[in-house]
Amino acid sequence: MILSRAARIWLGTLTSLVLALIYLPLAVVIINSFNSSRTFAWPPPGLTLAWWGKAAQSQGLRDSLWNSIQAGLFATLFALILGTMLASAVARFSFFGRETLSLLVVLPLALPGIVTGVALSNTITTVLHPLGISAGLFTVVVGHATFCMVVVYNNVLARLRRTGGTLEEASADLGADRFRTFRLVTFPLIRSALLAGALLAFALSFDEIIVTTFTAGNFKTLPLWIFENLFRPNQAPVINVAAAALIVLAIAPVWLAHRLGGDAAGGRL
Amino acid sequence: MTITQAKPPAPPRPERSTLRHGISVGLARRAWLRLSGLLSLPLFWLVVAYLGALAAMFVTAFWTIDSFTSELDKTFTWENFRTLVGKPVYRTVAVRSLVVAAGVTLIDAVVAMPIALYMAKVAKPRTRALLVVLVMTPLWASYLVKAYAWRVMLSGDGPVTRLVGTVGEPLYGLGATTVVLAYLWLPYMIIPLFAGIDRIPNSMLEASADLGGRTWRTYRSVLLPLLAPALVAGSIFTFSLSLGDLYTAKIVGGTTQLFSNVIYDNLVTANNLPFAAAAGAFPVLVMVIYLAAVKRTGALENL
Repeated sequence: MILSRAARIWLGTLTSLVLALIYLPLAVVIINSFNSSRTFAWPPPGLTLAWWGKAAQSQGLRDSLWNSIQAGLFATLFALILGTMLASAVARFSFFGRETLSLLVVLPLALPGIVTGVALSNTITTVLHPLGISAGLFTVVVGHATFCMVVVYNNVLARLRRTGGTLEEASADLGADRFRTFRLVTFPLIRSALLAGALLAFALSFDEIIVTTFTAGNFKTLPLWIFENLFRPNQAPVINVAAAALIVLAIAPVWLAHRLGGDAAGGRL
Repeated sequence: MTITQAKPPAPPRPERSTLRHGISVGLARRAWLRLSGLLSLPLFWLVVAYLGALAAMFVTAFWTIDSFTSELDKTFTWENFRTLVGKPVYRTVAVRSLVVAAGVTLIDAVVAMPIALYMAKVAKPRTRALLVVLVMTPLWASYLVKAYAWRVMLSGDGPVTRLVGTVGEPLYGLGATTVVLAYLWLPYMIIPLFAGIDRIPNSMLEASADLGGRTWRTYRSVLLPLLAPALVAGSIFTFSLSLGDLYTAKIVGGTTQLFSNVIYDNLVTANNLPFAAAAGAFPVLVMVIYLAAVKRTGALENL
């Protein structure tokens, strides 16, 4: 008993209150996607499924959804490869500049998104464009992978630190070569951390808009499409449906990552 | 779960002297080779794609744009920076952005503290796991959707507007921007605080109680000083994310302009890349000062 009874009741009340406040706006969006009033009068005069049908027909929504999925998958793939390599180096070796390096990895998350955006936009205009590469899927993937890498790195690093290097040494002592050790020992150890990191990286990429704004060109991701249509009154019903769907879709990966990783959705990002 | 007896593992095949074997032995003998192999790709990526882009941005910041041809004029000049420092409007917007970022950080720290305390020291293990998921989930529910949800709530017809009793008049503005940003980044404060409180052993709090410290005194004299690194770690996120945000002001800010909007308008609307690059130096400068100032607290290792 370290906290007084009154303090615990207070904390419990405040916690429920803030959680309610966190979920209230999300609930409003979900309910509005069924709101039968075209102007979204509150409280809703009635409920309808019409908007969901209309949203499924929207070509712009479908195209941008597909674009976002592509960008997310490629960014996740790059992030997995780079993040795992970096985490292995940092976890299993000590070398000059290791501290600097681990700071450098989180820099894309610690520096404001707009900085990364302007920097990449500048690179596209001044360096890539003369080379014949213009803004599109590739540049979006590069931008996303830069910060998606961090979540994979964090997840894999935490796992590698927890397991230590002894199992790999044992494997080597028993005569397995490097590749066999990776296949039979290291990979199974970090598999769930990789999966958790991948899910979070995909979710991060899927949702990103600021860096995307500056790297996308004509490549419209779902968030960009939503924003473009946010202020068009006749698109409002479709936007509400897309928003509600995104909320529901977001719960799946986080829940999965949490079950898989333990350390994934828990202690850090 | 059924337990099946696995076949006894085959004795490891003697490694033949193949290419693969050669590589493996080579790698085993030379740690530096393994290390450089692992570091090569990620370092190339970080240095070229990220640091290279940042460096290029600082080069472009000293260029100008030809107002007739819209071509880049690549002669070195301080003009962009002179405009940024000289024109009062940029100073106003910069100060406003800093105040908003600081306000958001303060609100988040105050709101996150009771939740983090409850999660770490009151909730039972099952509730605590559930709370972690409940706190984390909205983080992944589209950023845009959440800002939009607030737009709906604060619209002339929305629930909040009805509650306040000003129907017909949307509540968009600087206040709304601050509140929505605080709402968006709250989990980034809760999670490090929770982890920080969780690391503090109960015996410390008990010791304080034994010495006669009441709840508030224990909180102020024991918990809070120990939590400084966690608070700083959280504040890096809330501060940086607020400073770099672009869309919240567009969605619920009404006519409010933050510094990121200035950068965006210069780049996209005015097509003035060099000026946008120069303006981009401001958030970088602020964050570098911030990170350097908090480095001593050890918060950077907690990111």
